[in-house]
Amino acid sequence: MADILNDQDIENLLKEEKHAAVSVDVFFSQMREKKAHREADIIVPRPDGSYFKVILRQNSINPLDFSAILGIVVKGSNQLIKLRRYNGKSHEHKNKLEAEQFYDFHIHHATERYQNIGYKEELYAIPTERYANLRDALKCLAQDCNIMFPGSNQMELF
Amino acid sequence: MDITLIEKQFREMVSNQVKLKPEGVNRFRVFTPFQFEDGDCLSIVLKQTVAGWFLSDEGHTYMHLSYDIGIRDIEKGTRQKVIAGALTYFDIQDNNGELLIKIQENQFGNAFYSFIQGLLKITDITYLSRERVRSTFMEDFKIFVTTEIPKERLKFDYFDPSHDPEGKYLVDCRVNGMQKPLFIYAISNDDKCRDVTISLLQFEKWGLLYRSVAIFEDQENINRKVLARFSDVMEKQFSSLSSNKDRIKKFFTEVIV
Repeated sequence: MADILNDQDIENLLKEEKHAAVSVDVFFSQMREKKAHREADIIVPRPDGSYFKVILRQNSINPLDFSAILGIVVKGSNQLIKLRRYNGKSHEHKNKLEAEQFYDFHIHHATERYQNIGYKEELYAIPTERYANLRDALKCLAQDCNIMFPGSNQMELF
Repeated sequence: MDITLIEKQFREMVSNQVKLKPEGVNRFRVFTPFQFEDGDCLSIVLKQTVAGWFLSDEGHTYMHLSYDIGIRDIEKGTRQKVIAGALTYFDIQDNNGELLIKIQENQFGNAFYSFIQGLLKITDITYLSRERVRSTFMEDFKIFVTTEIPKERLKFDYFDPSHDPEGKYLVDCRVNGMQKPLFIYAISNDDKCRDVTISLLQFEKWGLLYRSVAIFEDQENINRKVLARFSDVMEKQFSSLSSNKDRIKKFFTEVIV
């Protein structure tokens, strides 16, 4: 995989079917307390040795501070490339290229244009009203990024 | 050039972007222009408790770091030292992951200034990426070995051509010219430790004759179970390169005739 993911690569990775090995409830039950937040990660392997990683973070002090993340780790690397990150509302966000600034729930997107300038791949973010808690954020992440959790009806799982 | 005007612009640029927004009783969200490298601003709250007024990150800083670095990795080695240094220098408390600074004698501005500097210093540990740490260690290892042992006796990334023509079981450095060659490994993490254990078990199966030595980047960072299995098959170990150079030199002198 190239050093910089172009927008087509990113789109293809988001569309790729990802089958989680554990249910949503089990995923949440795996969250462990670490330094004022709870966290859990699951791995979804790919045939080429790379793997997707789905990450949950929930601040233990501020319920509005959370993250649901989809990233990919390419074979031979230990660096997580974050494709999407569904953040809570605990801080302002600034999009450098667009000179935008907001304080709201927001979704980080990996983009080619930010990587080309040398910024972090997921610097660009968009405010959202689609969720207000971690469980709903994970639901949005699963819908947008084609992540399947065990069960027959994806929507009922949440 | 009007220095006064520039100075005014500097002041306005920073101070105008500092805002307070009420969030309940005696609690305010503090907005600042200071950011992580992903465009998210630092998360800061000004709040009053029974112990007085505090600025707090409410655990956000460590949680944000955990996207890229495991919390276990933050609590050891260089990263832990950088964080401990920043907390001490800027008088910040770490209350089980919540970073706090107490406002002393109504010096809100001073506390704010220290807190911001401390948080930014801590967020800098993301630049100490695992990749970078690993590559530096391997470079240090190669420089050390080539300095201490004649180059004509060294073969880096050696593999056994008869049993392993594809090079699946690499030896970081093989030293030739003795009755039994010496296999030297540089171990930087759990994965490498496991790989070397597997390689040595395979060499035993093949009946290879060799001696072995491992030099760790920092043996304390290796998982206990992984290290236990590794210790069963590795002949000699040094817990780190930097603090054992004299001992490793002595070992080389004894075994490399």
